[in-house]
Amino acid sequence: MLKIKILLKNIEGVLTDIKKTVEITPQNEVKLVVDKQDLKLAISLLKDHTALKFNLITDIIGVDRINQEGYEKRFDVIYILTSTSLQTHMKIVVSVDIDEDIPSITDLFIGADWLEREVWDMFGIPFDAHPDLRRLLTDYGFEGHPLRKDFPVYGYSEVRYDEEVGKVIYEPVKLQQDYRQFNSLSPWEGLNSQPQQDQAQAVAMPGDEKANV
Amino acid sequence: MSTEIKNFRLNFGPQHPAAHGVLRLIVELDGERIERSEPHIGLLHRGSEKLMEDKAYNQNVPFFERMDYVSAINQPYAYVLAVEKLAGIQVPKRGQYLRMLVSELSRIGSHSLSMGALANDVGAITPLILGLEIRERISEFCERASGARMHGNYIRPGGVSFDMKQELLDDILTYMDDLTNDIQACDDLLSENRIFKQRTVDIGVISAKQALSYGFTGPNLRACGVEWDIRKSQPYDAYEEIDFNIAVSSDGDTYARYAVRLFEIRETIKIVRQLIKNMPAGRHKTDDEKFTNPKRKKMQSSMESLIHHFKLFSEGYHVPAGEVYESVEAPKGEFGVYVIADGTNKPYRVKVKTTSVPHLSALNELTKGHMLSDIPAILGSIDIVFGESDR
Repeated sequence: MLKIKILLKNIEGVLTDIKKTVEITPQNEVKLVVDKQDLKLAISLLKDHTALKFNLITDIIGVDRINQEGYEKRFDVIYILTSTSLQTHMKIVVSVDIDEDIPSITDLFIGADWLEREVWDMFGIPFDAHPDLRRLLTDYGFEGHPLRKDFPVYGYSEVRYDEEVGKVIYEPVKLQQDYRQFNSLSPWEGLNSQPQQDQAQAVAMPGDEKANV
Repeated sequence: MSTEIKNFRLNFGPQHPAAHGVLRLIVELDGERIERSEPHIGLLHRGSEKLMEDKAYNQNVPFFERMDYVSAINQPYAYVLAVEKLAGIQVPKRGQYLRMLVSELSRIGSHSLSMGALANDVGAITPLILGLEIRERISEFCERASGARMHGNYIRPGGVSFDMKQELLDDILTYMDDLTNDIQACDDLLSENRIFKQRTVDIGVISAKQALSYGFTGPNLRACGVEWDIRKSQPYDAYEEIDFNIAVSSDGDTYARYAVRLFEIRETIKIVRQLIKNMPAGRHKTDDEKFTNPKRKKMQSSMESLIHHFKLFSEGYHVPAGEVYESVEAPKGEFGVYVIADGTNKPYRVKVKTTSVPHLSALNELTKGHMLSDIPAILGSIDIVFGESDR
């Protein structure tokens, strides 16, 4: 815990010129929130400063915040950097809206190349000045960005080998039965986490429609 | 008179026995020398991350075993640690030790297979047979512990699914002696073998600085001279109590990666022996029935337990809102999971930090300037599994 607090102080000291918020999350991780125009400066300072040396890129994570409350912009891009000398990791969070681009950090970390390609593939967040922004995991000629929350789990097209044509063909998805969404969530349990009690009472519970008959 | 010679472009894969899976590699050749190689991955993409957003927390554990299917047990470990941290589940000491034990066993299986496959790729067949035999023995122990040879769903939030009997622990301990001999046999066959060294020394060299920039982890990073092991630097469960060394080599070539793995198997044998010797008594999983299924005997007499059982397998449990990144030292490198919980019984987002993607993205750098026949050796030495890189 002490180690994390010292790290937090150090990061605040190194990034004095940048508009930012640094905090320790309840899960005991250092979280840095910056604007996208300060992202490259922040990462290069964190990478090269002798007191920090976050020299290993661990992951770049895209998140679609559309169903979550309290987020102004639609996407969050989370960079996880590791310092092999401090033996810890931290995360940097940048928020972007749909169709808004974000600076690429491929000139700071070569490994960011494929990680950014994956975020582009899955979320459709374009990276500015990326050398080769192609899809990484989905099929050649794939349309859409599958990890967006508005993309259905079963997708739009399916692939099969057609005997008559003699090649693999793409068809719109035909489900033999409706996609079964097992909603076994107890409606009353989620209410505990809601802040206002009066709001909780306004939520319709199963069986309410019978109560007023 | 001069003739213009064009570079030759070759499609290596997606179905190629030396590619260790479905890798499509477009190689540009000047004669037999590689000018550029470009990996295309994603041919095994199954959309696990999307599926996980649609399933309850405990239903997601088996997805992870199907990622790196060579060392199935290590992958759910990271996810389970993340869920435990978010939900605040306390795991008893014996549960922690059992989890470490199975993950170390699975590390032996993965390393011995990857060493055997590397040897097979450069022309030696016997080490592969040895490696497969070692893996088979490990699978048998997994079967005795969990009921399934490979995908046992053994590690779960709150501990492990079944306790290990003392005779099983004794058998594992006895096998460690046999294993030491088998590893020595592998060492004798390969380490000083002239053909093996000709094929691996100074092939696919990468410097420590470049490796860090690419995001290398695990044995591939340690082979470049960086002392980095999650078990030492950010110890999870009870790794702080275990005494072991990290294998580091400074060469960064294919041979160094092989040597690091060989050393790691020996260290892992040491860890397994310590774990079994110091195995604590007690429960193998948490007693909190909100997170683990109650005993069947108890369910037949206690209404409370019956409700818990039904709730656990239909609705699951609610994890408080939060975000956490947890990683473990899997055999192939750092395997991490970023879980975003929103207070319901399903994760809002699960991101898997794979071990193979950074290693694969460096393939162009590793193969540049080498001969075409060095590709299998380099691919074998960076130890990739496509189930994991493609998710």
